[in-house]
Amino acid sequence: MTGQSASTGLRGRLALAAPTLDRAARALWTADRPDHLRERYRRYLTAMHALITASVPLLERAADRCARLPDASAPLLADYFLRHAQEERGHDDWLLEDLAAAGGSPEAARAAVPPPLVVELAGAQYYRIEHRHPVALLGYIAVLEGNAPGPRLAERLAADTGLPAAAFRTLREHAALDTGHLDDLHQLLDALPLTAQQQLETSVCALHTADTLTRLFLHLAAGQGGRP
Amino acid sequence: MTGHDHAQDPADALTALEAAGFGVHALTEEQHTVLRSLTGPELALLIDIKGRLDDVGPEVQAHSDLAGGALF
Repeated sequence: MTGQSASTGLRGRLALAAPTLDRAARALWTADRPDHLRERYRRYLTAMHALITASVPLLERAADRCARLPDASAPLLADYFLRHAQEERGHDDWLLEDLAAAGGSPEAARAAVPPPLVVELAGAQYYRIEHRHPVALLGYIAVLEGNAPGPRLAERLAADTGLPAAAFRTLREHAALDTGHLDDLHQLLDALPLTAQQQLETSVCALHTADTLTRLFLHLAAGQGGRP
Repeated sequence: MTGHDHAQDPADALTALEAAGFGVHALTEEQHTVLRSLTGPELALLIDIKGRLDDVGPEVQAHSDLAGGALF
């Protein structure tokens, strides 16, 4: 990037995607009736369970790939991926506990075929790690953690759905955790000796993720009580 | 980014963003500097994302607490 830090370049690009993604999120959380919002929230938990089931394996695969790369940024990246894997471990179980508290079935969620958009989101990362460069995974993480649940989302949804507070642990925890995670990621981006090509891989991954996440939010918002 | 096969002409990138409906003129010079370095694949993705607003439909009045929802 031309004289900017890597994190400034990435944030500047994602700023252009943010208004669309923000509107998709508002569409996701706005339904015409409480029972429709409850049903939508259960579908959201099921889809997010499918998505974050891939988070720790992706981080571990990226770290493993770094170990096989003769690359100046690989040791720092591998260390970051392994540390992050420790922090994210078990969060998929939180989603199933939330789903049970919301009146859904964890067994059905485990058995459900993931929405194709979830497969596209996570599956694209396997491709990039194996066939491009594991640094691209930072773009994926930047978008997901940069669009974490807002600090009052859990409380608001509890009020709007009438579901118990126990159904919103994942939203509450990620609202608190992910701001610090995003700061760490930006510091890492600026510390890595990235080539222009590696920055591009990261940036394209981030924009692809922002686009696919927007489509996933709109997909989840469609149907009962939502707009197509 | 520089020296890449997909690099855009800097002026073209800003013009293409403006044509796609991004309010480029309202951005700061620092933001312009970032956007002048956009490559072709990045520009294409940004224009796709902007087009998703058509799928969202008219903005509804929503509570400001209803924000985010992505999980990693």
